[in-house]
Amino acid sequence: MTRKQRRLSMIAAAGGVLAVAVGLILFALNDQIVFFQSPSDIVGKTHPDGQRIRLGGLVADGTVERRDGAEVRFSVTDTEETVQVVYVGLLPDLFREGQGVVAEGVMKPDGWFHADSVLAKHDENYMPKEVAEALKGKGVWQGEE
Amino acid sequence: MPGMTLWIAFALLTVAAALAVLVPLARGRRGHAPAAAHDAEVYRAQLDEIERDLDRGLVSEEAATAARTEIARRLLAASREAEASGAADAATGTKDKADAAASLPGSPARRGASGLLQVAVVIAIPAAALFTYLALGSPDLADQPLSARLEDTQQNRSMAALVAKVEQHLADNPNDGRGWDVLAPVYMRLGRTGDAVVAYRNAIRLVGSDERRETDLGEALVILAEGIVTAEARAAFDRAVALDPKAVKPRFFLALALGQENRKDEAITAWKALLAEAKGGEAWVEAVRMEMAKLGAEVPPSPALPGPDREAMAAAAEMSASDRAEMIRGMVDQLDTRLSAEGGTAEEWMRLMRALAVMGDGPRLREVKDRALVALKDDPVAQAKLRGLAEELGIGS
Amino acid sequence: MIVEIGHYALILALILSLVQSVLPVWGAVTGNDRMMAVAPPVSGMMFLFVGISFAALTMAYATSDFSVLNVVENSHSAKPFLYKLTGVWGNHEGSMLLWVLILVLFGALVAAFGRNIPTELRAATLGVQGMVSFAFLLFLLVTSNPFLRLSPAPMEGNDLNPILQDVGLAIHPPLLYVGYVGFSITFSFAAAALILGRVDAAWARWVRPWTLLAWMFLTLGIAMGSYWAYYELGWGGYWFWDPVENASLMPWLSGTALLHSAIVLEKRGALKVWTVLLAILTFSLSLLGTFLVRSGVLTSVHAFATDPMRGTFILGILTIFVGGSLALYAWRAPLLKQGGLFAPVSREGALVLNNLLLTVSAVAVFVGTLYPLALEVVGGEKISVGPPFFNLTFGPLMVPLLIAMPFGPLLAWKRGDLYAVSQRLYAALGLALAATLLVAWLQGVDRILAALGFGLGIWVIAGAAAEILSRARFAQVGLSTGLRRLVGLPGAAWGAALGHIGIGVTVLGLVAATAFQVEKVVTIRPGESVTVADNTLTFGGLARRTGPNYIDDVGHFDILKGGVKVAETDPAKRLYTARKMPTTEAGIVTFGFSQVYVSIGEVHDDGGADIRVYHKPLVTLIWLGCLVMAFGGALSLFDRRLRVGAPKPARQRMVPAE
Repeated sequence: MTRKQRRLSMIAAAGGVLAVAVGLILFALNDQIVFFQSPSDIVGKTHPDGQRIRLGGLVADGTVERRDGAEVRFSVTDTEETVQVVYVGLLPDLFREGQGVVAEGVMKPDGWFHADSVLAKHDENYMPKEVAEALKGKGVWQGEE
Repeated sequence: MPGMTLWIAFALLTVAAALAVLVPLARGRRGHAPAAAHDAEVYRAQLDEIERDLDRGLVSEEAATAARTEIARRLLAASREAEASGAADAATGTKDKADAAASLPGSPARRGASGLLQVAVVIAIPAAALFTYLALGSPDLADQPLSARLEDTQQNRSMAALVAKVEQHLADNPNDGRGWDVLAPVYMRLGRTGDAVVAYRNAIRLVGSDERRETDLGEALVILAEGIVTAEARAAFDRAVALDPKAVKPRFFLALALGQENRKDEAITAWKALLAEAKGGEAWVEAVRMEMAKLGAEVPPSPALPGPDREAMAAAAEMSASDRAEMIRGMVDQLDTRLSAEGGTAEEWMRLMRALAVMGDGPRLREVKDRALVALKDDPVAQAKLRGLAEELGIGS
Repeated sequence: MIVEIGHYALILALILSLVQSVLPVWGAVTGNDRMMAVAPPVSGMMFLFVGISFAALTMAYATSDFSVLNVVENSHSAKPFLYKLTGVWGNHEGSMLLWVLILVLFGALVAAFGRNIPTELRAATLGVQGMVSFAFLLFLLVTSNPFLRLSPAPMEGNDLNPILQDVGLAIHPPLLYVGYVGFSITFSFAAAALILGRVDAAWARWVRPWTLLAWMFLTLGIAMGSYWAYYELGWGGYWFWDPVENASLMPWLSGTALLHSAIVLEKRGALKVWTVLLAILTFSLSLLGTFLVRSGVLTSVHAFATDPMRGTFILGILTIFVGGSLALYAWRAPLLKQGGLFAPVSREGALVLNNLLLTVSAVAVFVGTLYPLALEVVGGEKISVGPPFFNLTFGPLMVPLLIAMPFGPLLAWKRGDLYAVSQRLYAALGLALAATLLVAWLQGVDRILAALGFGLGIWVIAGAAAEILSRARFAQVGLSTGLRRLVGLPGAAWGAALGHIGIGVTVLGLVAATAFQVEKVVTIRPGESVTVADNTLTFGGLARRTGPNYIDDVGHFDILKGGVKVAETDPAKRLYTARKMPTTEAGIVTFGFSQVYVSIGEVHDDGGADIRVYHKPLVTLIWLGCLVMAFGGALSLFDRRLRVGAPKPARQRMVPAE
């Protein structure tokens, strides 16, 4: 092989790998990203089966209900609309009524949001960023920038 | 003299810094090997390595030969290059053959430039350092390790001596209620809240219960519980109110307790009752209003504190958003200036902090919080309030 | 006084860094010996000054000097002494000071141990390092000065985030920083080479050990951070594809690529332009990581107090250095002479493949990390890119890398014989297949992917072992000579083999802990039991315990295997009283390489509790593998090949070899 051919074959190989990688990234971006939505974005809309959603808002006061087997039911609100959430598992340390929360899961036809992970703020200063912004938009939260 | 020592230390550091630049600049030229010579050295090491690998049988004879040829070729090229730059030097008439710098080192022009550079370094380094330091540093502040402050300050020493004396006396006469009564507030001021609680209890047991002692005991318990009105503290406040139904402080804490127990409506009623008695201008009014706001109650306007009057507010309502922001900013600045210059109550500081939080000015909010904590450092209750607010505004740390 | 001396020393360091940015580089370009000679002593002096500064701040923390604002904000007199000290870098200002300390440390190390580096290269490298130091010292003094004072001083400080009160976390930032910042020196080498317009054998030889050093610490730092998240956060996970984790993974990937491409450059003089670019990119990614963490763009566990001014400043630094170095690259890279030729199937070819896959996977991580941010900036929707994205992109890119890994070191330089190499890997292949079949048989054929993953891990380990064993030639020379040869192998050979074995070990741990983990979430009452895998956990009830600055609700569990008690563990729900902040203290018991992991959730009034129990088979291999990798790096670093002498300046005549 001449120098030029070698170089070409190298470039072809690199191009191949790059093409595969770009394909993978695009495919994954298309399929695997999760949209962040507030209860107002969800209520009254239909959701394709199994579309994953990150639901953010405040845990509505007085709605947390614990059942056996570590099942928890609570409502997430953005003060306008409210979505009922069911979750099986351990809640984060800072999960409290009236505090910001992000639940990830799917909206089921039964009208419940089935979460498979729940995040709360990690310390007193932390409000999940999306929640803070969504709530700011609604004029509820007036924290520091 | 510590001040003197500090400046001597600064001087030494500055001299060291300047010397680190000056010495190499001033020292005569040392020749250095051209880059190619370093390459040659690396290639030689690589050749040695091949020999070693060959000895150990790590590479085949054939591969070793191929590698040797290639490296030898590079070594040759590098050596030639090094030679050439050495020769170039020789041509310039330097004694130092290996010097690659194709310059005219001994020339007066260069020496002059170098001298100039040295002078610049001698002047610029100390000047720049001093200038920056004076802008940023606090040379007149000594170190203040906590242990030394607790033991050594004049005031504390006399205070500590006094306390020790009273403590000694009480150890001998544990039933001297007056002694406990005197000691308790002193403990509070020293931050020994736990001891203060014991002292108040003893005073109440020995001298008898009155509104002030019960209230102070309750307050000490609240501080000990970091702001939580515990059952024990409640009992103390209840007794205080029983002794003097008009007393404000115990009722303040009782209302706080209701809020903490989430009995909102009762708490709001209690707060309203307190507010109704306010003549205006009392330090606790703002705290009550804040608590009410926290509970989500409608907060009656506060006529007492100087604030924007109704007209100004009405005008603000008609302004455009940016004008309004400007007006708010102006008022905030005014308040800030006044507080910094003349000091103020915890409530005023808190008003400023809340305004800044609404404006979303995080950095300034923190800065104001720190200043407020300093300004009110002698007032533990005010400090606790400030910290509480800071926590609430999300700048707890 | 000590505090003020620290402050002044930091300012002097800033000024020296300015001198350092100008004089040596100027000297290197114009060939002025005196100016170049400034670089080493000034590097040492800068390290001394920043060191004094760091010591002064540490002193202030140790003595709870609340006249220093930074101490007030991040310490408390009642805090355990150890955490007072670690509190120095547990906050933004202090951690940036540590960052700068490590930055100047690397400069000083090059000054001290770089006598054999060509003079111009050393001067220019230290000069560029001076520029980076200047930028960060300025950042520190302007936006994050840790030496601001308060007068009068408050009597008490404001504690430290309790989640940061942890020994693991105390060691984690320094390790990670040594890695992150260590790549600054390879960056400086690259920029210096571009400035001087020459990448030569000496450059190649000297850039590699520094890369190796930084890489080693970064590996340890990442492993440490992962283990910390695993046992401290109580979620049982060890990698979340959190942007902050990605920020450390990206420089690791490109740093690993750099490590390999530098070999080609050193041995064969090829890939010059590419290696220089990688060196620039690696540090750029480190800077990006610093920006992401420090600017507060990402609000996450790791975010300290954030401040837009700081974010903007770091973004400025990022733009200037990344933009500047890439522009320099575009301008000067064409000057670099191309080196040796090689066939696609050769050691060089394999290393190119390695580089290709590593950089592309770094790109995948980059896209996944920044895409949501970019989308938000352009006003689009808020999205989150989670583990599924990374599993789908990063995973498939790693598979060919792992498959190809054992071939690389066995291939000859220039032109390799793939067939001959394959023959030497038959044993490894056999082992890998056997492992795959065994796992598939044990776990069921439906777990075939996991079984294949396991086989892949074995393949990498066995492949690396085959390579190192084949160098000993047991078959030809017999056992005792073979052993002696094995021990006598150069450190670099052992380093490479251990590095690869470490990867394999980590892969085994990842596959096993992901695919074969058993998780149960149950409500348990005293006396009840729960079984995961072959472990039965009996709940003995909850008890309250008081610590120095927290209250624990401690649950007691006996772990039984086959009805026999083998261990006990006490996970807790902890409440830090000063901040009213709850944390979860997981109970972790190690059996062999596997672990049982218990964390307590909600506590019920009847004495019961919601608990989460995992059995995580072989999970410790994940971090052990990282340790093995780092150890390999250390062996390689101490290889005597790296001790090349410096040419003697004057008398020595250059003798053409042979």
